[in-house]
Amino acid sequence: MTDDTIDEGKLRDLMNEVAALPTSIEPPADAWAKIRAEIEASGNPDRGDTDDIDLLSKRRHRIAFWQRPIFLAAAALLLVAGSSALTAIAIGRRGASTSRRAAQAPIAPFATDSNNGPASLAQFTVVESDYLRAVNDLSATLESERGSLSPETIAKLRESIQVIDAAILEARNALAADPANKTLIRMLANSYEQKVDLLKRTTEMARG
Amino acid sequence: MIRSALLGVVLLSTLVAPTRAQVKVERGLKLDADGSIRITNLVGSVHVTGWDRDSVSLHGSLPKGDKLFMGGGPRGMKLFIEPLNDRNPQPSRLDVMVPAGAKVLVKTATAEIEVSGVTGELDLYVVGGKIRVSGKPAELNAEAIDGDIEVNGKPGWLRAKSASGNVTLNGSSPDASISTVSGGITVNAMPAENRGKFERAKIETVTGAIQFNADIEKGAAIDFDTHSGVMEIAIPRLTGADFEIASIAGTISNELNYSRPVKGRYGRGSELVMTNSSGGARVAIRSFKGPVTLRIAK
Repeated sequence: MTDDTIDEGKLRDLMNEVAALPTSIEPPADAWAKIRAEIEASGNPDRGDTDDIDLLSKRRHRIAFWQRPIFLAAAALLLVAGSSALTAIAIGRRGASTSRRAAQAPIAPFATDSNNGPASLAQFTVVESDYLRAVNDLSATLESERGSLSPETIAKLRESIQVIDAAILEARNALAADPANKTLIRMLANSYEQKVDLLKRTTEMARG
Repeated sequence: MIRSALLGVVLLSTLVAPTRAQVKVERGLKLDADGSIRITNLVGSVHVTGWDRDSVSLHGSLPKGDKLFMGGGPRGMKLFIEPLNDRNPQPSRLDVMVPAGAKVLVKTATAEIEVSGVTGELDLYVVGGKIRVSGKPAELNAEAIDGDIEVNGKPGWLRAKSASGNVTLNGSSPDASISTVSGGITVNAMPAENRGKFERAKIETVTGAIQFNADIEKGAAIDFDTHSGVMEIAIPRLTGADFEIASIAGTISNELNYSRPVKGRYGRGSELVMTNSSGGARVAIRSFKGPVTLRIAK
């Protein structure tokens, strides 16, 4: 592939490195002493110096609702469910065509039901990793079936993949500058779906 | 002069020479009115025509040395060519009559596929050939990598996909999804009295142009998406529809009514959210940088 294509290897390495980072770290040994000193300095007549539980309780009331653990847990669950659903949509668009036709599933679940999709670049990166995984798997499968495709077809396929990758890069750069733009997120997802679908179709045709 | 002409003829015949002599074939088998048939022919052509008999009739020609297989029962059958040299298959021509209500699957590499008069389900796959369908199949799934797809009629359910090939629909479908990468998409379903209306449709390209000239049902849901393709969407002037049009970095031109687009986020691109007539249908048009033009259908 040329420079126009996304370096999926590098992106995957980056994601692996991010995944390898610790989810929590121990604070420095003197951190609590400093925090206590800060609180005492701010003056709070209602609080006894040793009443840490009471302090935590009061602080909990001051935490915004969206920062509460239960809300964050629910958000994480939604994100995971949304990501899985989108992956299923991307991977399974061509599977079980008969049942799909019979069920008359919505044509564009992502496009028409945007409320369930990722709302920011940060959320989309979770979905994106699923797309990249699908692309990698399909590319590997296609490589193994390469002998059954003519050089002309492979060249045409590469051209089309480059066209899609250029669109992905352009939309992704725009999304980096405007991370909450849902239209851009939808466009980016569409391009990824096109890429997955094209690879999947070509693989199936190569298998005969 | 004459010698040059003769030399030209000899050269031309040399270029054509690799095609082996053709052998004619004729076969027939019983197939239920709603039976299934799967046809595979890598190179050449496959023409399928629906008829009102419970049988399949094949007329064709194949290169000498290639083998034709045709077998199965009344519920389903297979028909395929086994080339003498599968690394370099020579063109075969298959003209197949099938029960009109049959389920037909055709798979080719570069062979063109033409289907007419089938009211059952169609699954058609080519890599680089052309697909042409006419009539009113209950379901049509047509896929190509770099081949063109042309549909003339009103499939009850339509999925048409190509990468660099063009897709043309002269007609309509209540449930349509058409996509290409760089190929253009042309939909022409006017006048609607003859060619029908769209209820649910998703039409998308990456860089290919989209031309849509058709009517839509009240309550329809239509999505158009492109990255950089030119989009020209034309619907009848009095169509009740709610539009959401967004172009991240491109322009929007509205010739359907007097609503005017506004600047997009951060002053970039264009957006137009409007209701035409009394609204009803939902039309979403999204483009990254391709120009969008909305106009009155002719």
